[in-house]
Amino acid sequence: MAELDDVIHQPLRLRIMAALNALPSGSGLEFARLKKLTGATDGNLGAHIETLSRAGYVGVDKAFVGKKPQTTVTATAEGRGAFARHVATLQEIIAASAAGGK
Amino acid sequence: MKLDSAEARKALADIDDVARRVRQSRIYDLASRVMIMWGVLVFAGNLANWLSPRDGGAIWIAVNTLGVGGTVTLSILDMRRTGMHSFDLRVAAAFVLYFAFGLFCSVVLGHFGPRQMGTFWPVYAMLFYVLAGLWFGRAFVAIGLGITVLTLIGYFFVTGYAFMLWMAVTNGGGLIVGGLCMRRD
Repeated sequence: MAELDDVIHQPLRLRIMAALNALPSGSGLEFARLKKLTGATDGNLGAHIETLSRAGYVGVDKAFVGKKPQTTVTATAEGRGAFARHVATLQEIIAASAAGGK
Repeated sequence: MKLDSAEARKALADIDDVARRVRQSRIYDLASRVMIMWGVLVFAGNLANWLSPRDGGAIWIAVNTLGVGGTVTLSILDMRRTGMHSFDLRVAAAFVLYFAFGLFCSVVLGHFGPRQMGTFWPVYAMLFYVLAGLWFGRAFVAIGLGITVLTLIGYFFVTGYAFMLWMAVTNGGGLIVGGLCMRRD
């Protein structure tokens, strides 16, 4: 059985990756929207995005829209791959448990 | 790292929940823009109809044409911006069939007068919102029911041409406020 991804496994990071993965490739979410969708706090979300970014799983784009700073987070191809493998591993765990229980 | 099947199930359920929220957020984003646009048009249409009751037919043809054109334009712009299809062809086809049935009831079968027309179409349109809300989110249901009740209050209790002003505020204003609330959601 494949190993679970240590970086994605943490609950909030899993939710961040799930949200970004639900978008078409190349599309991102604004920080405020991501915060609402994942139920995170500002500091918490920032720290976990930093961890995902260091792993190369998300890209962070900071820009000004008018006078307001806007941070957009996007899943990278590497991040999407890691997330897909993580989900497959979770499914394998459930399948293995079901097979073992029979 | 080891995980048992209950924890794995919980993680997958979490993923599904977030993905569902993202989809709903996309739908709310587009729907709120469409709703605000229709609200402005309906407000202007009722106001124009109040000022010039004889031109009601032309006013509402113009409102509906602008509304449908605007809806299609906003949908295309949204699709280009996000790369996602919030509404597909089946939804568009359902909308056309729904509209055709309303036309058949109100013009061919019903021979409705201006007051009945002014009540039927908002209530009928809000029924579409309520039905859509059963799939896409409670906000549609709340807005649909709220505007329906206000429309019926106007139909039964607001007399004469003041009915159009009532409809401008409750129907047009209701859609604008509903759309703005949806954007905050």
